[in-house]
Order: sequence, then structure tokens, then C-alpha cells
Amino acid sequence: MASSQHVLLSPAELAYLHASLSLTPPIRPDGRSPTQFRPLVAETGILPGTNGSARICFADGTEAIVGVKAEVERTAQRPGEETVFLEEGGAGGDGDDEEEEAGQGLDKRKGDASWVEMTVEIPGLRDDDSGTAFLAAMLSEALLADGEFAKRLWINRRFHWKLYLDIILISPPLSYPLPLLSLTTHLALLSTRLPRLKSEGDEDPFFDDDWAAAPYLFPRTTSSSSTPSSTTTKSPTPAATRPPITLLVMAVGNNIIFDPSKEELAVADVALAVSVTGLSPSHETETGGGTAGEKQTGRNLRLLSIRTIDPPSRLTAPGVANAANTAYGASNGTSNGTQKMAEAEAVEGVWRPPRGGAKRMVLGALVQKVLERGGVVDEVLDALEGADSG
Amino acid sequence: MPLDTSTYNLALLRVDGRRWNELRRVHAQIRTQAAADGSSYLEMGHTKVMCVVTGPSEPGPRRGTGGGGAGGAGAGGAAEVVVSIVIAGFSSVDRKRHGRGDKRTLELQSTVANALAASLHIHLFPHSQVNISLHVLSQDGSLLAALINAAALACVDAGIPMTDYVAACTAGSTSTYAANDEGADPLLDLNHQEEQELPGLTVATLGESDRVVVLVCESRVQVSRLEGMLAVGVDGCKQVREILDRVVREKGRRMVQEGTVEKGIGLNEMDVD
Repeated sequence: MASSQHVLLSPAELAYLHASLSLTPPIRPDGRSPTQFRPLVAETGILPGTNGSARICFADGTEAIVGVKAEVERTAQRPGEETVFLEEGGAGGDGDDEEEEAGQGLDKRKGDASWVEMTVEIPGLRDDDSGTAFLAAMLSEALLADGEFAKRLWINRRFHWKLYLDIILISPPLSYPLPLLSLTTHLALLSTRLPRLKSEGDEDPFFDDDWAAAPYLFPRTTSSSSTPSSTTTKSPTPAATRPPITLLVMAVGNNIIFDPSKEELAVADVALAVSVTGLSPSHETETGGGTAGEKQTGRNLRLLSIRTIDPPSRLTAPGVANAANTAYGASNGTSNGTQKMAEAEAVEGVWRPPRGGAKRMVLGALVQKVLERGGVVDEVLDALEGADSG
Repeated sequence: MPLDTSTYNLALLRVDGRRWNELRRVHAQIRTQAAADGSSYLEMGHTKVMCVVTGPSEPGPRRGTGGGGAGGAGAGGAAEVVVSIVIAGFSSVDRKRHGRGDKRTLELQSTVANALAASLHIHLFPHSQVNISLHVLSQDGSLLAALINAAALACVDAGIPMTDYVAACTAGSTSTYAANDEGADPLLDLNHQEEQELPGLTVATLGESDRVVVLVCESRVQVSRLEGMLAVGVDGCKQVREILDRVVREKGRRMVQEGTVEKGIGLNEMDVD
């Protein structure tokens, strides 16, 4: 669905909403603080027939279900790759030197974006609707952005897992469903388990029947490690990365507002979909090299992708100032010049749809706010992890 | 892939350990979703279905979805019942993508729409539309029956006046068509394995009466066996109706207790403690 679905608000209402959201601190229609999310109900592992599943219900009633299914697929062999495989000792020399610290065992793992297939179903919309396709592209883009995810699906040189992510929006699309779908996908991936591999090397894969022994796709940290690591490079576990989340952030004036509702999105100056991933969950890391003792809790966040969302505010009709309104005594016809002027300059309390692109400062501030250590993203990730393990 | 169910004659137990006249576990919930006018969740064994009802409301822009529309075509004197079914890719054992235009899905849509249009009092809502969207989360046989039951529950939750429950269930026979076994027992509530191999039919009845609203049989079966299967199916529908009724009453009782709704006049005889 498009973000620009119909908003049934008059210019006066839009102006009021815009004014109250640009106050410091902003006053949101539902009384939330700018960084507060809507309350949600989440559960995982709801469908035993899938490798991983999750359901999230937002307080406004929107609900989504994600199911993950995995199938073993034969990896397409490209000519020329074999020669690299033969000299196994020199695997580090084939270009991915930055992976050195990841250990020799992981070096030969490769991933491909085509190993993940994502579909989004939204009731009442065609499955080839541009908005739906855009949503699916945005979500899978975040997932594949760092290239680490696809590597997890590697079984051996000849086989890999093909992961199907089916995202279903159960409720009618009341608000722009991107955050909901992203959070549900995150939870489903956290609960995803793949059967334990029993075969070795490049044999045809053979798996353990015991589902209880199946490892999680994103391994869970059993306990917080007691040894405080000074730098993250010392614990080079790609396992520490978590599935990404995509958050909807918008700006009104200089205010940055998280998780906007449909009405708030209708007056947004800028709306961004920011995808981030948490690297080491609840790990304490020192900031900088020398500043000892200054420890910050929270995870290292990594920015994966940014997409601008076309806010529906651009399509709203502008209000007319009293000075330009013929019903309020403005002369019509003769003063074309004043009418043009009224269109050009903003009048206090009269709604004008935002024009032009986002200001660079605002964009920077938006991203900065998202990546803040111990900020909103941390809270969300913590909450989701709690929902998954609990 | 045909399965061997010939062991039935040894112990008179089916592949999942049921007797011939036993339903699988039916679990249902209504009002599962706050945003919708009516919603329900229904499990029949491992078949899991969610239903969301919107309406009766003003008909939206005409979409070429080709969904099962039934009743007066909206413009006339009665509301239109529009059903859309989404079969999740992860619902079956092997992941399979079901497009919107899938012929099987379209047929299911029109069957559900016609079944409900017959029992909903849609003539009370002229120029409007009742949108029923069904989501199949997991499939293990008796899909049509589960869809009809879930839709009926959601319509009750939406408060759309209706004659009575439409309760559906499947029935089958213990031996294949080819076996031509005259003494074959009828079976109630087929699961996926049985549905693959044995002849079966889906039947839906209106309330406690024996009036059949839906009868779908897609497999070859000797006509002499049909009567037995139908009788067992209709009997199963009555059991299903009891279950649906219990779910609705239970939810109503809880809502009265929680004070969500006021206790109505007709509820006096209802035992609320």
C-alpha cells in the first residue's frame, strides 16, 4: 500500500496538527512522547508448521503475521569458482580480506541475495501493487544489506537453505504498516530454527530429526559474557548480529517523531524508513580508545539503509488564508498578484503542504537520533528480545 | 501419493487415532482483533484460519479482484458479501505461493460468500458491502469447513443479523472409490492425509436444523455411500454448531462480567455469576 493513502483531514485540522507537533516538546494526538512507540502485543512460535513465526498486534488494532519456511536448494555452480575452492588454504586471498578476523571456518561461506524470498500480502490490495512491492523490497533490502545474513543460509558448497518469508497483514491497513511488518519479521527471524546438520563437508545434506536440537538461525546468547571485551573486534562473532529492524521516523519542523500514526504522517515534512541492526546485544563497550572508564550500555548499532517515504502531506490541499479568501472580503479577479503572494508565503495557522526535498540538517539529525546509543532502537530491540525469549 | 489406510479395519482407528465419528480438536476465539468490526480465529485440528469482517459499510471503489461476491450486487436492495481468501505461503507442508487469481481460491471465495449471504440478513443493509477477509495460516484438511466456520463466527462478532449459525464439517468414507467396498464406514472430519486418499465431501448446515446450505464433493464416490457420508456430515455440523455457540456465549459472558457491554434484557436467563 502506498504511504499516501487517503487522509480525511481538512486543511484546518492539518494546520492544527502540524502546529501542535512542531511545539517543543511536541504534543502528539495520542499523548505519546516523541520517541515513544505504540504499545504492542507480540508472540512468537505460533505456527508449528513453520521454521519460525511471529505475530504482532499494535494497540491501534493493526496486526501482522510472519511465517518463515526454509527449503534445501542446490547452489548453482558458476564456472571459475571451482578453481578458488581447490586452494582451500588461501581462501583469504580471494578478495574478502576484510573477513580475515571471522576465522577460517567461516571464510568459505558465501551468500547470495536470491536465497531469500520475501512476499508481503495486504488485504484488499493486488499482490503486484507497487506499494506492496516497495514494502517487500524495503524489508528484504535491509535484511540483505550487510551480506552477512545470506551467509547463514550456507550449508556446503553444493547446497544452501532457501528462506521464504511470507508477511501477512491481517487487519485492514490503518496506518503505514512498515514498522509493524518490520518488527514482526524481526521476531519471526529471531525464532527461526533450522534443522541441525549431520552430514559433513560437501556431502548431500543430512539433518538431525530432533527438532529440539535444531539451532536458531540467530544464535541466542545464553548468558551475558563475564569477560568484558575492550573492543568489539576481539569477539568477531558474526553470530552477534541480529536481524534488522526498519523504523519509520518523521520530522515536523525541528522535531523528530518516532513511529508516527496515520494522522501524524499526514503532516510530516520528511518521513524516512531507517534500517538498523544491533551488533552485540547488551554488550558493554568502551567509547573510543583512551577514554577509560567511560562505558556506555547499549549495543553497537549499524545503519543498513535509508529510504525516504513520500509523505501523504504532499498531496493534501492547502488552506486559504482569510486575506485571500473571497468569502472574507478579498477582492477576486483584480488582485491576481496578492493571490499569488498568498500562495507563496506561509501564513500562521494556514496549512501549506510541504514542498521541496528534505533539509540536509534534518536528515542528519533524524539518522543521528536513530543511531543514538541506548536510544529508541535499543529499547525496541530489548523489548523484542524479551518478547521472543519470554 | 496414496497412503495406506487399510489398517482401519484392524482396530477401527484412523491414522491419527480417532474413531469414525470423532471430530478433531476445535478451538475458536472471537474478537481477536481490535481494529475490525468482527474477527475470529479458528483451529480445526491443525487447520488454522483467521477471519476479519469489515462492514456492513459503504462499498469501496470497484476493484477487479474477482472475489466471490454474493447477494444483491450492492446497488440493489441488499448488501453484497465480498470474501477474499489469502492462503499463506507457509500454510502447507511444502511452501507454495498462492496467487490472488488462483482458481481454487476463487471457488472457495464464492462458496463461502454464497453460504453466508444465504444466512445473513443482508436485505437490511441496502447499498452496502460486507467484507470478509480470511487468512489461512495452516492447512491440514477440511479447509472449506474451517473457512465457513470462521467466517460465521466473525459475522456474529460483527453483529450482522443472521438467521442462525452456519456450521460446516467434512465427511468421508473409509475405503477408496476404486476399492468399491459396499461395507465402507463413513468418517467424520477428514484430515489432510485422509482427504488425499479417500472420497470426501464438505457439508454446511443452518443452525440446528438439517437444512444443508453448502454441499461440496470433489471426489469420486459410489452413490450408495453418499447417504451415509451426508448423514455423518450433518451430524458433525451439529457438533460444530454446539462448539461455535459455546465460544460465542463464553465470550459474551466474559464481556458482561468485565463490563465491556451491559447485560441486555434477553440475557436474564443466561447464567452470569
